[in-house]
Amino acid sequence: MSKAAETDWFELIHTPIDISSAIRHVRDDHDGAIVTFDGFARNESRGRRTLYLEYEAYDSMALGKMREIGAQLHQKFAIHRVAILHRLGRIEIGDTSVFIAVSAPHRAAAFDACRFAIDTLKRTVPIWKKEYFEDGAVWADGELPPAPPSSPKAAS
Amino acid sequence: MAGRPPPGYNFCVPPVLSKVRVKVLLFGRLREVTGLTEEAVDVPADSTLSDVFDQYSARFPQLAGFRASLVASRNQEFATWDSRISADDDIAFLPPVSGG
Repeated sequence: MSKAAETDWFELIHTPIDISSAIRHVRDDHDGAIVTFDGFARNESRGRRTLYLEYEAYDSMALGKMREIGAQLHQKFAIHRVAILHRLGRIEIGDTSVFIAVSAPHRAAAFDACRFAIDTLKRTVPIWKKEYFEDGAVWADGELPPAPPSSPKAAS
Repeated sequence: MAGRPPPGYNFCVPPVLSKVRVKVLLFGRLREVTGLTEEAVDVPADSTLSDVFDQYSARFPQLAGFRASLVASRNQEFATWDSRISADDDIAFLPPVSGG
């Protein structure tokens, strides 16, 4: 399935995400299933009404980490194609911020891979969300990416 | 050491540790605290990522409080704080990520 990776789609997008084109992109007659994850802006956070969100990324690294996730999916699961799209900039309530689509001949692999993709993205892709409320704004708490093991040559 | 030293060479000056230029990128709350998105800086050639961060917290004292919650990266890969830098590295100090 390594050839399929060439048709994967990873992108950081500053305009609304076109969900249907992402689904069409991964859909193929060899497949029997597509599982998608649609992450969109919720109207509240811990009881405070959210007005809108703003996302920023370390673009080059974020894209690299999204591609790594795609490569891991092909290694771990019997899937066909992957699309991982993340939006940046201001996002209104109800707008999609991240969309993932995974196609596979059989559904189990597609479900597992899609879940793995969003869970890994939230831990390892350098993107940050700021939540704007009526009375202020905060950077979301977020997750600390796993630190690599100390390099022996750097230890002194 | 054959030959004569270049004119003006002063043997009394201790050797100066050479510096290298790296690019430092700041995101999210670090960008807001410092007002910087990226800049080229000259740092001692044998610096670790931790040393570079210390140089920034000396300039921006509020940064020190973030240290425990940050992860460092070097050339678009997560890196340990004890990693040594090289010339032209892209170095970033990353707050906890919250994409998705």
